[in-house]
Amino acid sequence: MARYAMVIDTRRCIGCQSCTVACKVHNELPVDMIYNPVTTVGPTGVFPNLHMVHIPLLCMHCENTPCVDACPTGASLRREDGIVWIDEKKCVGCKACVMACPYGARIFNQEKGIVQKCDFCLDRVEKGNIPRCVQSCHQKARIFGDLDDPNSEVAKLKNSHHTVRLLDELGSKPSVFYIYGLEARMK
Amino acid sequence: MKRNFDFEQEGIQVKKSCCYFCHQNCGVLAYVKDDKVLAIEGDPDFPTNTGGLCCRGNIALLHLDHPDRINYPLKRIGKRGEGKWQRISWDQALDEIAAKLAQIREEYGAEAVATAGGTQRTDDWARRRFMNLFGSPNGFHNSHLCWIPTFMIETAVCGWSPFEIDLANSRCIVLWGQNPGASNMPEMHHLSELKQKNGLKIITIDPRFTETAAKSDLWLPLRPGSDLALALAWLHVIIYEGLYDPVFVENYCEGFGELANHVEQFTPEWAEPLTWLSADLIRESARMYAMNKPGNIQWGVAMDQQGRASGAAIHARILIRAITGNLDVPGSDLLTGPSLEFITDEEMEANEYLSEEQKAKQIGADKFKLLTWPGYSKIAEMSKKYWGKAPTAEWMCEAHPPSVFRAILTGDPYPVKALLVSATNPVNSYGESKLVLEALRAVDFMVTCEYWMTPTAALSDYVLPIAGALERPTITSSYGCSDFLLASQRAIKPMYERRNDYNFWRDLGIRLGQEDMWPWETVEDAYLHKLEPLGYGSDSYDEFVEYWRFHFPERQYQKYLDKGGFGTPSGKIELYSSVLKDLGYSPLPEYVGPVENEIDHPELAKEYPLVLSTGNGFMPFHHSEHFQIPDVRFLNSEPYFQINPETAEEYGIKEGDWVWIETQRGRMKQKADVTQAVAPRVIITQRGWWFPERKMEEPDLAGCLESNTNVLTSTRDEDCCPLSGTWANRGLLCKIYKVDSTEQKEDN
Ligand code: SF4
Ligand code: SF4
Ligand code: SF4
Repeated sequence: MARYAMVIDTRRCIGCQSCTVACKVHNELPVDMIYNPVTTVGPTGVFPNLHMVHIPLLCMHCENTPCVDACPTGASLRREDGIVWIDEKKCVGCKACVMACPYGARIFNQEKGIVQKCDFCLDRVEKGNIPRCVQSCHQKARIFGDLDDPNSEVAKLKNSHHTVRLLDELGSKPSVFYIYGLEARMK
Repeated sequence: MKRNFDFEQEGIQVKKSCCYFCHQNCGVLAYVKDDKVLAIEGDPDFPTNTGGLCCRGNIALLHLDHPDRINYPLKRIGKRGEGKWQRISWDQALDEIAAKLAQIREEYGAEAVATAGGTQRTDDWARRRFMNLFGSPNGFHNSHLCWIPTFMIETAVCGWSPFEIDLANSRCIVLWGQNPGASNMPEMHHLSELKQKNGLKIITIDPRFTETAAKSDLWLPLRPGSDLALALAWLHVIIYEGLYDPVFVENYCEGFGELANHVEQFTPEWAEPLTWLSADLIRESARMYAMNKPGNIQWGVAMDQQGRASGAAIHARILIRAITGNLDVPGSDLLTGPSLEFITDEEMEANEYLSEEQKAKQIGADKFKLLTWPGYSKIAEMSKKYWGKAPTAEWMCEAHPPSVFRAILTGDPYPVKALLVSATNPVNSYGESKLVLEALRAVDFMVTCEYWMTPTAALSDYVLPIAGALERPTITSSYGCSDFLLASQRAIKPMYERRNDYNFWRDLGIRLGQEDMWPWETVEDAYLHKLEPLGYGSDSYDEFVEYWRFHFPERQYQKYLDKGGFGTPSGKIELYSSVLKDLGYSPLPEYVGPVENEIDHPELAKEYPLVLSTGNGFMPFHHSEHFQIPDVRFLNSEPYFQINPETAEEYGIKEGDWVWIETQRGRMKQKADVTQAVAPRVIITQRGWWFPERKMEEPDLAGCLESNTNVLTSTRDEDCCPLSGTWANRGLLCKIYKVDSTEQKEDN
């Protein structure tokens, strides 16, 4: 069984938001809905001594899922391969998961009356393709693959670099790992 | 690419197309069924983008059938700019346009017909072919602002512009006024990759802390428009600290003594107050480039957009490469010369058909000699002698755009009665927008080939629907000057009644007696003709794309060894340029300050105390395009300018305030982005803005002047570069004040 994960190399990310648009187009989201925003921190400091780092976000596909635990209908699910997804047919739009997710990854779709979010492009991954945001990134800042496969790029990167998980202290154990460069010292 | 898209469904064809939203032409795979594109994605096998697409590339399907696209030929039936149109057939449109052009040629001469272009995303050799055969020398683009002055000055000095950078073998790259992090995604990827793998050093020279500056080893935030002072100081450091390459200079350069004497005065201390950079930083950066060899200086538009000082700055920059020996050796900037293997754009232009008498009438050729027939002829001749072929004339040899707009208004030097516009919206993309707008309102006859009803299209007599991304084949070859090419095919036939602009020029030409000169019925036929000498044996252009897709010749370094020197009159790199001297220009780069500056113009600086830079690229737009598409517009939905917090506070300006920015030419408004990314006293505006969501009606024309940064730029002859005629976008003086909340919309 695969264990899907994403490594995000912030040394490479330029904040172009191509991933954001690619995801919106792929998932045919309304203009005001985004699964994977890119947050730019900076420039921090005082001219001309500045820093800037871009943090691409998405659902963290946590191992311990506060969202799934909060869902009263069983619409929120976590697969064995680590992908957290929503069975849209079962979602009643109560937004309990929206409140529970510490990463703001879940969004209520006004038009459809349900909650939606990134599902690691389940439809593509099941056919052996990489997620849309990963393919669209010119800079190869998002890397996707199977952590259990020691030859996969994600596994290699994760094992050879110091990586960080967001809000790790909550114990949610995300499957998304960040590499920070020296230039990416955060305030 | 839609969710759950079935790549393997029956009847699906994968077309090797490309993105058409900027010059990169990233490779795109289009999944097509029944002549409909169902999905697209970046082509993983394309050498530049390797599967990536920027945000624009991703919305190709929203662009393809956007409800605002122009799909049929339109003829104006109301007053000009009134927005009343009649749908007509292509035949009727072409017949009527041809008749009108013939009448103008009869009455005023062929030179009374001019054409305006934008970026290199059109079938431009065909435009030139039409104009040459028609007899007019007055075609132009925004080429002056983008690379062309660089190409011509570098070719004058070295015999070809060393624009091919051999990055994989390089140790240091200077990004001088270039921000690939927002304008060249494949290049940025390559840079990050090499930085991580090879420890490539990156020096970024830019007044803004850009996406790219943030990833650089050294950032030089110079005063906008002071690039020339910095380049001269680099020359001083490299020569007087003995960091130049004595062997290369001795054997392959001419005029080193003159250059050394000339730059003795330009010390880093001299440059400090001009560039706002410390002498130490100037020394450190010059040493980093000169001592980490081989290295590159990547071209950026900044130097092409400074008006008066542009030519000298470009000239000084090429001398830096030359004296460090960073030319044509592995890892440096390579002079590939034109392709001898395929038919180049220049060979498709029919330049020999334009008479000397007509060439002499080219508007601006008397004032700005390098990018017009006097300079181009000289360089073309030199290039033919050495390489066997000449650079493209379309782009390299053009009428001076601001002078043409003035000629429309004044009749001086002669009347210009018709303007054929293709792939540009001059109101927003050319300098001094108010003047341009007056000219567009005044010109007797105007035809626009477009995707959208732009402010320019709205003022036209005819608007013709043009094929866009996915609907046209494309050969990418650096303005027809590279020795390689990348080929992409149409994914589908153009939708509705859209056509390639190639067919516009061809069909117009045929109606004006040029039928013998247009043997290729389709663009594909013409492209196949271009490719035939390569000997791949493809029966059709599509077959070439499907099987080969690109042609890269084998890299040859140090061609000057075999060729016995460089392609200049002396056979050496002419540090002291005989070509420029013969044209009446200084053979060495003379210092001249930015067009408007506090040192030369203290009185002006009292009224306009801030320093302005305009024209840089930013995501998600390209020039004045893409404001119609909400799925990218949301990333930057309103126009913003950058201002340092210290200056903002002084003017009582807060984040998001609407602010008037005013120069001697006029004012426009944008919202404040209060940021440390720029120095105090520096204002950097966004380019291109108009508001397609508003009414396209006179006099407002969708707010085409309201937030348009080109209202501020200067195109006076005195402010233009004497060599190239490029006008002043950067290094101007401005003042700012908050928009009064009671104020109505722009009072143009
Ligand atoms: S596409 Fe890549 S570089 Fe651009 S914002 Fe997303 S992760 Fe960053
Ligand atoms: S990021 Fe939020 S939505 Fe995604 S798995 Fe974690 S808690 Fe659930
Ligand atoms: S993995 Fe797919 S759904 Fe998730 S952010 Fe990327 S593109 Fe969007």
